[in-house]
Amino acid sequence: MATLLEEIRRELNELRWQFDLLNWAQLTSVLAVFTFFLIIPVLTIVQASFIYEGRLSLYWFQLILRDPLYLPWKGVGGRLFDVIEYSTETGRQVLIYIEGLDFGVILNSIYVASLTTIFSTAIGFILAFIFAKYKFFGDEVLRILLLAPLLSTPFVGAIGIKKMITSEGVINTLLVDMLGIMPFRLEFTGISAVILVQTLLFYPIAFLNIYTSIINIDPTLEEQAENMGASGFYLFRTVTLPLSMPGVEAGALLVFILSIEDLGTPIVFRGSNADKLMPVFIFRNMFTPTGTIKGDATALSLILLVISATIFIVLRKYISLRRYAMLTKGGVWRPRRRKLGIITTILIYILCISILAVALLPHIGVVLLAFAGEWPSGSLLPTYFTLRNFVKLFTEPGVLRAILNSVVYSSVATILIVLLGVSAAYLVSRVKVKGMEALDTLVTLPIAIPGIIVATGYFLVYIDTPLSPLIWGAPLLIMSYTVRKFPFTVRAVFAGLEQVDKALEESAVNIGASRTKVFFTITLPLIFINILAGGMLSFIYSMSEVSTGIVIGDANHNDAPMTWKMYDMLFKGFGGTFVAAAMGVMLMALQFIMIVASNLLLRKRAVALIGI
Amino acid sequence: MVNIRTHNVVKRFGAVVALDKVSLDIKHGEFFTLLGPSGCGKTTFLRSIAGFELIDEGKIFFDDEDVTYVPPHKRNTGMVFQNYALWPHMTVYDNIAYGLRVRKLPKDEIDRRVKWALKLVHLEGFEKRTPHQLSGGQQQRVALARVLVIQPKVLLLDEPLSNLDAKLRIEMRAEIRRLQRELGITTIYVTHDQEEAMSISDKIAVMDHGKVMQVGDPVDIYFHPRNPFVADFIGQGTFIEGSVVDKDEYLLVELEEGLGRVRAVPSRRDVEIDVGDKVLVAIRPESFSISSNKASNRFRVKIYHISFLGNIKRVQAISNGKKFLIDVEPSASFNLDDEIDVYVPYDLTLAIKV
Repeated sequence: MATLLEEIRRELNELRWQFDLLNWAQLTSVLAVFTFFLIIPVLTIVQASFIYEGRLSLYWFQLILRDPLYLPWKGVGGRLFDVIEYSTETGRQVLIYIEGLDFGVILNSIYVASLTTIFSTAIGFILAFIFAKYKFFGDEVLRILLLAPLLSTPFVGAIGIKKMITSEGVINTLLVDMLGIMPFRLEFTGISAVILVQTLLFYPIAFLNIYTSIINIDPTLEEQAENMGASGFYLFRTVTLPLSMPGVEAGALLVFILSIEDLGTPIVFRGSNADKLMPVFIFRNMFTPTGTIKGDATALSLILLVISATIFIVLRKYISLRRYAMLTKGGVWRPRRRKLGIITTILIYILCISILAVALLPHIGVVLLAFAGEWPSGSLLPTYFTLRNFVKLFTEPGVLRAILNSVVYSSVATILIVLLGVSAAYLVSRVKVKGMEALDTLVTLPIAIPGIIVATGYFLVYIDTPLSPLIWGAPLLIMSYTVRKFPFTVRAVFAGLEQVDKALEESAVNIGASRTKVFFTITLPLIFINILAGGMLSFIYSMSEVSTGIVIGDANHNDAPMTWKMYDMLFKGFGGTFVAAAMGVMLMALQFIMIVASNLLLRKRAVALIGI
Repeated sequence: MVNIRTHNVVKRFGAVVALDKVSLDIKHGEFFTLLGPSGCGKTTFLRSIAGFELIDEGKIFFDDEDVTYVPPHKRNTGMVFQNYALWPHMTVYDNIAYGLRVRKLPKDEIDRRVKWALKLVHLEGFEKRTPHQLSGGQQQRVALARVLVIQPKVLLLDEPLSNLDAKLRIEMRAEIRRLQRELGITTIYVTHDQEEAMSISDKIAVMDHGKVMQVGDPVDIYFHPRNPFVADFIGQGTFIEGSVVDKDEYLLVELEEGLGRVRAVPSRRDVEIDVGDKVLVAIRPESFSISSNKASNRFRVKIYHISFLGNIKRVQAISNGKKFLIDVEPSASFNLDDEIDVYVPYDLTLAIKV
């Protein structure tokens, strides 16, 4: 007892010693924002899930778990694929129609995320290994091209690829009708299309994480193993692979989380079994006719949350984002890269170009759509090209307004993220008090919380307050961007802080500067580049945020951001898709500029950064 | 110029006791060195003086002022970090002027004092350079100038020479000592290099596992170690366990390993050694001679290694399984496996109470 009191006294002393006024202000503002715009909304979902007719009850869970809509009680639905034969003027046609099995909403989400993770990690690993270990003509250019899908949001990509993979889409038109090299038509839709699109969009994340961890392996570790007689696959299996595992695991778990919470991709495949994935299902069924949130939607949200939070905890606890950041910190050595001969180079080119050809389908699709005047199905290219769709960004009712909304929300959110993110990163990295670990977890937590859950929570908490999204969409959208995109900036700034020797700050304190003074004159100037790069990342991620954007936008069209407008246009029929694609191209261009700029600013450090 | 006094300072990191009741008294203008193996707490002590670590127990005084709870930026100490910690985004001039600007001194006063500091460390004309344009030794000088310019009460040096090459290290050692004498500033110096500590210090505190093992001037520490740790850590020697069997003018010690009996003196006058006590007999390499004179202990040893160090030859030899380190004239011609007789005067055979 006495020792406990002693311990508490010491901690309090330490606290008083370590914290100055600036730190308190930083801590309070970060905690306030996260409490009101993350913790309370999420806890409200938990609470609402367990309440039925005013009493504590498991009713909603029983409802869900018994319903064959959610779990396959009446057997597995859907077909993996169908072969459909039909006749047209041009003759007999065979269509292989791939949709994917339906195990009910809950299992669908899990298996889609699992398959996406396996495919993305496999592609990512092969590419990472090739580029980290071998040197060949044009490797730098090829590597950057292979990262291109990072420039897209799932939403944008899915629009583009949808045009490509339907039965009368570009691929079938090209391969079956024009070239005649494929004897049957192929159509992806529903769940299988979601897996395809997500794999193409997320493999760069696995690639970057694994690549970074392989090039950061101290080459002397491998040289030592070779010195002792290991070589080839044995060396790879015993040294290279185990040492790159943190990157593989971190990449895989991130892909899983991104996939299971993705709303933008399945929403594009409306009317197929892609509707039976958790985020879309919640989105489509969250409101009662009177505009309140349904109990089964909150219960399903909670199930989704538990799954992604579990993955997140695994990520934190066993792989630890922070240790991973350390791992990527070094890089003073020259990675060991073998020069390849012509034949292997050609083989690698064939592999990479095939991956690229498929991976860039969404982008090619979006760009073509954006410039298309008319594009009937069964036609390889649009019948004519035009800039009309871009003119419509300014003339079509509501489009310009939505774009400006997004710019304003994202700018304000970015400012908040930078101010709070720098504060949080500084506290975690510099103030050595018990509990700072928890702050670190808190500010990284948004990675694990699906956007649809944040949106549902906001409705539950704020619907009857002046912040109601029905009255004014801006505050909650800004706060959702701030909280949801927070981890990316914090990681960037934290990585920067870890590279700043603490002695640089201590030596300033030592000769008389207060900690606050040091923060502004020493710390900030030294990590300015990281802050700038992190801020740009937050801005583009905010601009392309889908989940809360379309939920709140759906409820308040005037204050909706551009992602909602894209979604809206997409299903407005006639010409809407073209305008949505034009908005997508605009977003991609913006992302391209920002990522190139932050790469130039950060130079080599960028690799570690985007990998988060 | 201040006197620095610590009283029973305790600092814990979790379960590890980094400083265990450290009480030291560092006089005005003294060059005081903390010496010990890594992890012994010497850097923690230095950081506690600077105020970077809040101590868990005890008091720290600058003269009569209790500074235990004074935050680091108000202590007016001048700490030079191991890696110099020069700010890469500032020029040499701005680095040195920083502490003066924090104190909001008038511009011409700042200019005058920066010039003074640059002159002090022989770096006139380097104002506009940035840290990465400087060599290691120059960076070191800037780091010194940066703290000396604020006229700190005490100069704190944390292994300042460890990043320099051997030759420069000896040069900077003399340079630091010159500055310290010129300014008469109380200095606490941390190092794990015992030779460096010996050559530069007025006084040395040897530390181990958070405890101060002995405080004294270099000669005192070298020839009168208080305990086996100090004897072993400072300099080299031959160490043999034994027990005291008789006591007259000298102690009569029965050595282990069947090495017979020797006469020895207590390593310190202030430590009482009685018949029956366990002791460690320590003999410095230079205490041996190969000719007999009166009042000497004799050992017959077999040579197994000879290293030529220039001014001497250091012979490693063995007797009854015990290793001996013996310095001989560089001209002495021994061969491996030779058996020789060596002698140590009683007065240089030190018995250290275990």
